[in-house]
Amino acid sequence: MCAAAGSNSLEGMLELLAITKVYKGQKRAVDGLTLRLGPGLVGLLGPNGAGKSSLLRIAATVTRPTSGQVRYEGVDAVARPDGLRRALGYLPQDFGVYPNLSAVEFLAYLAAVKGLSARSAKARIDELLELVNLTHAARRPLGGYSGGMLRRVGIAQTLLADPRVVIVDEPTAGLDPEERVRFRNLLSDLAADRLVLLSTHIVGDVESVAGRIVVVKGGRVRLDGPADELLRGVAGHVWEVTVPPEAAAGLQQRLLTTRAVRTPAGVRLRVLAAGRPLADAAPVAPDLEDAYVGAVHR
Amino acid sequence: MNALAALALADFRERVRRPAYLLMLISAIGLGLLAVPPVGAHWSVLVLGGFRGRYTSGYVGLVTALTSALWLTLVGFYLVRDAVARDERTGVGQLLAATPLRTPVYLAGKLLSNAMVLGSMVAVLGVTALALQLLRGESRAVDPVALALPFVLLAWPMVLVTAALAVFFETTPVLRGGLGNVLWFFVWMLGAIGGQSPKAPFGGLGLPPVQLPDGAGQDVGLGLMYVDEPLRTFDFPGLRLDPGFLGGRLALVAVAVAIALLPALWFHRFDRPARAARAGVGPEPRTVYQGLPRTAPAHGGTVLRLLAGELRILVQGAPLWWWLGAGALALAGLAAPPGPVLAVAWIWPVLLWSRLGTQPATSGAAAILGAYPAPRRRVLAEWGAGALLAAATGAGSAIRMAVTGDLPGLGAWAAGAAFVSALALALGTLTGAPRVFQAVYTVIWYLLINDASTVDFMGALRDHGRLTGPSPLLWAALAGAGLFAALIRTAWRQARR
Repeated sequence: MCAAAGSNSLEGMLELLAITKVYKGQKRAVDGLTLRLGPGLVGLLGPNGAGKSSLLRIAATVTRPTSGQVRYEGVDAVARPDGLRRALGYLPQDFGVYPNLSAVEFLAYLAAVKGLSARSAKARIDELLELVNLTHAARRPLGGYSGGMLRRVGIAQTLLADPRVVIVDEPTAGLDPEERVRFRNLLSDLAADRLVLLSTHIVGDVESVAGRIVVVKGGRVRLDGPADELLRGVAGHVWEVTVPPEAAAGLQQRLLTTRAVRTPAGVRLRVLAAGRPLADAAPVAPDLEDAYVGAVHR
Repeated sequence: MNALAALALADFRERVRRPAYLLMLISAIGLGLLAVPPVGAHWSVLVLGGFRGRYTSGYVGLVTALTSALWLTLVGFYLVRDAVARDERTGVGQLLAATPLRTPVYLAGKLLSNAMVLGSMVAVLGVTALALQLLRGESRAVDPVALALPFVLLAWPMVLVTAALAVFFETTPVLRGGLGNVLWFFVWMLGAIGGQSPKAPFGGLGLPPVQLPDGAGQDVGLGLMYVDEPLRTFDFPGLRLDPGFLGGRLALVAVAVAIALLPALWFHRFDRPARAARAGVGPEPRTVYQGLPRTAPAHGGTVLRLLAGELRILVQGAPLWWWLGAGALALAGLAAPPGPVLAVAWIWPVLLWSRLGTQPATSGAAAILGAYPAPRRRVLAEWGAGALLAAATGAGSAIRMAVTGDLPGLGAWAAGAAFVSALALALGTLTGAPRVFQAVYTVIWYLLINDASTVDFMGALRDHGRLTGPSPLLWAALAGAGLFAALIRTAWRQARR
């Protein structure tokens, strides 16, 4: 398996150096993690509680690290966050809005906070609302928006100032399938010349668009590299076998199982193992979910 | 019964695990120190015809219990009234609504939880009373029953009533919001004054009839009072437990329970339409992704737009009747000299001002704004929005003063507008909640309309046309201090983020 954990050689536009975050109560959310990030889409994967959101909040200057450095284009963004904040578009996992303001009013306020001129703010707000398919609801109070619509307002505010760094935390939560497709297209376009750091625990969200994938667990990097490199890391280690239903539970406890599907012939298990786990197991081509599960359970 | 206990306990745990709870307990100790001052002190909270009781267990218990019955009821209401709103905010209410839990049990659980929080403060006061009895040293004989009895019979029923009214206010549509916070001060004042009479319903606050020593006057007063000479002492014989008094206290407990359960008749039980349903959002038009925005962002001047944005956020959701009232008051300010008109005009926006410094956190927008630049600029813009709101609602009086050449009045008006916004912003930023400003400002305003010129920050009180309050420069300086406090708090938050 690929294990370029810790850092890589990409140009450091945004550098997270030896970041540790310890919350009150001694929970170590991020543990000495280093990432050097350049233009392109970086998918940050990890199970719940892996430290993804903490890491993103630190990268977005919302939270200070307990130790370590955040550097944006060489400048210390912990001590002087405004430079990064001006270049940043950040979509947190959970956020609220002013419920009696319309989308236009809310975005106009945020554009003023970002320092955009009135003319460019107006034009960009119109274009962004069209981009996230909210033109029809642009003048309605946000308090009446559904969860998915609010998420799209969040996406629009992320792009207000045409950010060079885009940090999005679980951005597709609440989006319907069509909107997810639209959002993936958008991310692909953005990543052409910007850094897009996307955190999710859904492998499918990054599989097709991320040029680099970082798997985090326990606040540390477990895997870091391009998707095809990660796949090469588990090549030859993925097996499928169909077993009687009554044997499936026991095998799942014993073997690292990435999928279990009930079929008329029994339960088809997809298993990660260095050698053939059962006599009738057949080798199959790995996918990113296999690489992810392998990294998390290493 | 299990559900009731579990609900109350969970709610109680949630509250006591917040840092604010420790502060509440410490403030209870402070209340005790106020109630049992050192022997030579020039203040007292209970004056009995120029006398006070010797600091025996019975008297120390009485005076601290009465102090908590008087003031814990005011502050305690604001401390506990968030139990139902929190369930709504966090979504826990939705989970509970989908269980077989009956509404009266839910309300009783909230009452119990409120009572436990306030009761724990009363308990701390009880321990403080004992410690103060020993510290003051007028009597070393500890009588636990005499000490505890006033807490059980005087303080506890009153905090139970407070706990019940907090539930009632939270679950009753008109009283649920900030209007209830303002109204509570007047409800409390009515109870605090009327309740001092032994003839008050249910025994009122529980001030007992006391056989005073020879030479004592007839005046009996409860409240923080300055005394020229330290009070003389007498031996308080302890509470008399006649059946009428005990019956009254029991009835008060029953009334409290009834007050808390009554809203079961109208409480919404978190059955509120989803946001999208409220707005009538229908199917969306289908569009396709056509690429990134074409317009490049350009930076420019934002001061006015930021101010306008903050003003919009400040007044968002104000109903039509509020605007009509504000307009009428502005017109009244044109017609009548400043004074009562300006005072009324500047209580009208109290609920809007109380949003200052709290809105990003209460709305959840702070999660986004945390990664935005220039937090100090936003604080200044917020203050400006609050001052503009004051200027707008008091515009009628200002125009009249300008026309009549009342420049000192105009100066006081301007300083007042700056002060009220800074006070709201500072309290909102420091506490994160609108309730503190609502309570503090209501008290200041009440004192002002009762001719306490010391707190006349707006130039409403006149003597033959001359301002009687402190110089506008003082209020302007206090406004600066408030703004400075808000900026420091914001910088501290940034440093500790």
